[in-house]
Amino acid sequence: MTDPTNSPERQRLSVPAKQFQDFSSEVEERSHAGFMACLQCKKCTSGCPVAGRADFKAHELVRLIQLGQRDQVLKSRMIWECTSCQTCATRCPQGVSIAAMNDTLRLMSREAELAYEKTTVPVFNDIFLRSIRRRGRVYELGLMAAYKFRTLRLFEDVDKAPMMLIKRKLRLLPKTVPGRAERKRLFARARKAGVRS
Amino acid sequence: MSYAFFPGCSLEGTAWDFLKSTKAVARKLGIKMPEIEDWICCGATAAHQSDPLLSLALPAKNLLAAEGNTVAVCCAACYSRLKTANHEISSDKLVRKRVAEVIGADYDGQTPVAHFLEILINEFGLAKIAEAVSKPLKGLKVVSYYGCLLSRPPEVVKFDDPENPMLMDRVLKAAGAEVIDWPHKTECCGAGYGITDVAIVKQLSREILGMAKAAGADAIATACPLCQLNLDLRQGAIEEASGEQFDLPVFYFTQLLGLALGIERKSLGLRSMIVSPKELLDSRGIGL
Repeated sequence: MTDPTNSPERQRLSVPAKQFQDFSSEVEERSHAGFMACLQCKKCTSGCPVAGRADFKAHELVRLIQLGQRDQVLKSRMIWECTSCQTCATRCPQGVSIAAMNDTLRLMSREAELAYEKTTVPVFNDIFLRSIRRRGRVYELGLMAAYKFRTLRLFEDVDKAPMMLIKRKLRLLPKTVPGRAERKRLFARARKAGVRS
Repeated sequence: MSYAFFPGCSLEGTAWDFLKSTKAVARKLGIKMPEIEDWICCGATAAHQSDPLLSLALPAKNLLAAEGNTVAVCCAACYSRLKTANHEISSDKLVRKRVAEVIGADYDGQTPVAHFLEILINEFGLAKIAEAVSKPLKGLKVVSYYGCLLSRPPEVVKFDDPENPMLMDRVLKAAGAEVIDWPHKTECCGAGYGITDVAIVKQLSREILGMAKAAGADAIATACPLCQLNLDLRQGAIEEASGEQFDLPVFYFTQLLGLALGIERKSLGLRSMIVSPKELLDSRGIGL
């Protein structure tokens, strides 16, 4: 007779126990999303604009976090395709802040170096924030050039540039707000401290 | 009436026409909105996706600089970030302390933030707008497109009904337009993925353009620089790929209101629109 405490099923359930508790509590502590209250009603996914293309839909992502599936969650394409439109959080009958949860997952996925390899969103975000730190404001033409250079997507969408220049939608010269040294310190302090921890 | 104006980065670049038309309308109605001196970027999506504390600190710094005056905002993304910062800072003492450590000053999260639509309706008043209209937008069928960030999440922004906002509809009706009800008022256009993941933008924007057309609209009115840019700049490519024909000029609501107030087309930045509104406006006899 096999030992029921040592069956493969039992092992599957028991081995990751600590790990999954650690992962889901970290997500909860950092996001305050309240996802343990999820009832799997799928209202979030029904209204989600990117659900049709997602590898894991919003309600599936929540369930995977509850089950501690750290790698699957942090490698997910969905966390980089979420448009942060907040429809999910607005409609959730249990008040789960799925959008806040996704912000936390993006951070954790970058920290763990598991971010979906084809996404260029992190590069874009870094360039965007650098522009604010340097100039105080976002300089769109410089932002686009830096992004194209870093991602080597040199010719994607370049046909839009002449039209945008004709329509004066791209400012040729950047504006710089005084106080760069202070901004640098502000960015450094923000990076060092967490919001609540 | 006086406000501290936070234009935001887009209004200095891609959405210069939103800035121009807002200023023209405010001037015409006697609403004073001097810019906050040396304002800095609100951090937008990049900050809240990368650094939660920075995403509160940047708005807080600007809100402090407003010195207690109500902050007037046009960009829906800035509006959302400023409101979120107020919400988080005023409801959690620890967050308030952390933000203070980062910006080097205590901010209580109490500086009021109002979108220009809220100012027009809640403070200036619809009756006064209707009174000021000299060239009603007769025969212009328009849908109001609010996008994601004006009305969501409702407990933070407290803007209007998150599923069926009406503020823009009411302003445009006061301007004499025929405002059509439609189901895509708050659908997402793909927003900030205009650079990083264009396929998402094209798919979502196509659904919005298609629904506006099916609803019988001549034009779309927006209140967000990213909504306007995605629906206008990508419209040609979307038509080419799908074989559909939309021909929908995408205005800022301030441009339409400006026309109704008798402001000249050229003072409202209409020439920045990629889908030209000229034929439509000429055929309805709107604007000079």
